[in-house]
Amino acid sequence: MLTEIFITPFADMVAAPDFLMQVLWEGLVSGILYALIALGFVLIFRSSRIFNFAQGIMVVFAALTLVGLYAMGVPAWIAVGLTLVVMFILAVSIERIVLRPLVGQPDIILFMATIGITLFLIGLGEIIFGGENKVMITEELGIPTGDTVLEPWDGLLILQHLDITVVVVATLLVAALLAFLNYTQMGRAIRALGDDHQAALSVGISLQTVWVLVWFIAGIIALVTGIAWGARAGVSFALEVIAYKALPVLMLGGLESITGAIIGGLMIGILEKLFEIYWGQPLLGGNTETWFAFVLALVVLLFRPQGLFGERIIERV
Amino acid sequence: MNHFTKWAAAAALATAGSAALAEGLFTPNLSYRTGPFAATGIPLMNGQADYMNMLNARDGGIGGVMIDFEECETGYSTEKGVECYEKTKGKAIVTQPWSTGITLQVLPKTNVDEIPILAPGYGFSPMMDGKTFQWAFNTPAGYWDAADMIVQYLEGQGSLDGKKIAFLHLDHPYGKEPLPLLERMAEEKGFELVPIPVGLKEMQNQSAQWLQIRRERPDYVVMWGWGAMNAGAITEAVKTKFPMENMVGVWWAGHDADLKIVGEDGKGYKSISWSFPNLDAPVVADIKTHVVDAGNSKSNEEEMAGVFYNRGIIISAILAEGIRMAQQEFDTGEIDASQLRWGLENIDMTEARISELGLDGMVPPFKTSCADHTGKSGGWMLEWDGEKFVKVSDHLTPNTEAYEALVAEKAAEYAEANAPWPVNDACEM
Repeated sequence: MLTEIFITPFADMVAAPDFLMQVLWEGLVSGILYALIALGFVLIFRSSRIFNFAQGIMVVFAALTLVGLYAMGVPAWIAVGLTLVVMFILAVSIERIVLRPLVGQPDIILFMATIGITLFLIGLGEIIFGGENKVMITEELGIPTGDTVLEPWDGLLILQHLDITVVVVATLLVAALLAFLNYTQMGRAIRALGDDHQAALSVGISLQTVWVLVWFIAGIIALVTGIAWGARAGVSFALEVIAYKALPVLMLGGLESITGAIIGGLMIGILEKLFEIYWGQPLLGGNTETWFAFVLALVVLLFRPQGLFGERIIERV
Repeated sequence: MNHFTKWAAAAALATAGSAALAEGLFTPNLSYRTGPFAATGIPLMNGQADYMNMLNARDGGIGGVMIDFEECETGYSTEKGVECYEKTKGKAIVTQPWSTGITLQVLPKTNVDEIPILAPGYGFSPMMDGKTFQWAFNTPAGYWDAADMIVQYLEGQGSLDGKKIAFLHLDHPYGKEPLPLLERMAEEKGFELVPIPVGLKEMQNQSAQWLQIRRERPDYVVMWGWGAMNAGAITEAVKTKFPMENMVGVWWAGHDADLKIVGEDGKGYKSISWSFPNLDAPVVADIKTHVVDAGNSKSNEEEMAGVFYNRGIIISAILAEGIRMAQQEFDTGEIDASQLRWGLENIDMTEARISELGLDGMVPPFKTSCADHTGKSGGWMLEWDGEKFVKVSDHLTPNTEAYEALVAEKAAEYAEANAPWPVNDACEM
């Protein structure tokens, strides 16, 4: 048994390095997608201390809006633009109708409000678009769909062009987001609100404007995530389930940290894939991805309750 | 009249009104038009509802009694399904649970409530033993029939001795259902079975499962998928260049919409099925005239041409035939649940009867009895041609004798675990 745990997996990795490369690549792609979803949570939490339960359904709603508009005859890229308009209207509506009346309420009330938003968007989405699986307009958006087959060590490594595009776009999106947060006035306002609500308000930062902005950015992230996941297996309400994969990422990386979301996502994506392939499937019958990330996050929490990159909260009484 | 009395009077009127509207044979459907499995559920539910609406519009119901076909939404959640069962059981003559998980939960309850479960092509496989499961019907075929026919078909391509079959399945009671039979067949026929579970959260990202398939290099992949899992698996199969002609799914993994995502790349993918769309069948024309043209259908042209919508039609046709048989036997239109059980146990769907019902080519013949609650319809192997599913086999029949002993064993095990379990002693096996 000890051999199967400590020796065989590593021997397998050395024996088939091309397969190991494929596992790492698939883990990287999954990790980037997890990180993207987690980023949506982090942005909203940083600026408002709200854990946005609706992030998953926003992914579905954005993707459904895009394919729905295209089905109505709107050209693909105009449909993307119109989807962004819809996500902006959604952000404004959420701020006006849901969040503004709840300012000053305990965090749990705001969290419950996001559950309400989730249920509302599920119902609205089903009424407007129906529950059928829809095909993502991958080719119409110009996203490459072929693959590149490499033969490292006389083996086989298949790189899907779609996955390469996802990695590149997600990296650019994260870079743009970091630049926005660090180098623009509005970005600094978001960070200021996250650091200290009272202090930020006292220097004239508008809570309402920042909230609309972060929900809109979360909407943009949701659209990109929806396109990426939808291109893999169609657009349906099942996409919402994927948002739960971001929970261990947040536990691991910390709820307030953008760096944590990115590194946490990548770590979980790669480690859960390695564990599943080399330990889970041979020793535990597989399907360890459903729990591995949570166990990993719990182990980290034992030593760093605030997550790897979260802020340690010290409250003086 | 004070405020409370007004409300009470209004409530009483509303109750009386709904009771008046609900006159007829109450045949609730525990549907799932929402949630992660909605893509599979919607066409099936639409087909079922359209057939019943057609009977109401064309014939005034069945035997002169209207069908009260009501849906209770479960979202494929077992908890909600049980709630729906409890909510509808009062005046229901049948329950249609629509998930193996829900079926397993309500199975013991139906013994007490004496309501037949109609689970066409799903549910607990040993339900085919009508003596033990007197209230449960997986007519016209069960999962073990499907597994047997798939293995038979693969054997037809060459001996399975020494071959490897990956069993990609949803990690859910439904997905695990054929495992006992497949494991036994693996021993008997000498093939290696590699079970590969897919979690609910992994349905759309099955890269790990397909990396395992790449590593294991199976000769065939047999898929027991539902909802979003099917599209996820087929996309990954294309991505990893697995030969599509060596991939076979159960009948719930043969949905046109899932294959349309990959289109031409999915060419060669197969699915066993006990139903097939025949757009020239008279029933389709009747549905168009009496339901679609009247604006009472939730479906659309594309969906109505698909396998799942047409399977929904067959499911309602099976129920309707059970109702007819009971009405004739007991000489009453307003049959009750126990009379419907008799009806479902005495369906004789011959080619002539299938044609009489306008279902030509849409379902193979089958015959139920008190001992046989499936009816052994068998099915056809369908293949995706890049645009639609086509038949690529003659009528296949399951070799039920080969697993009769296993059915008896598992049925007895279930009855013992749930003792005291009433058995239909009057039924001769």
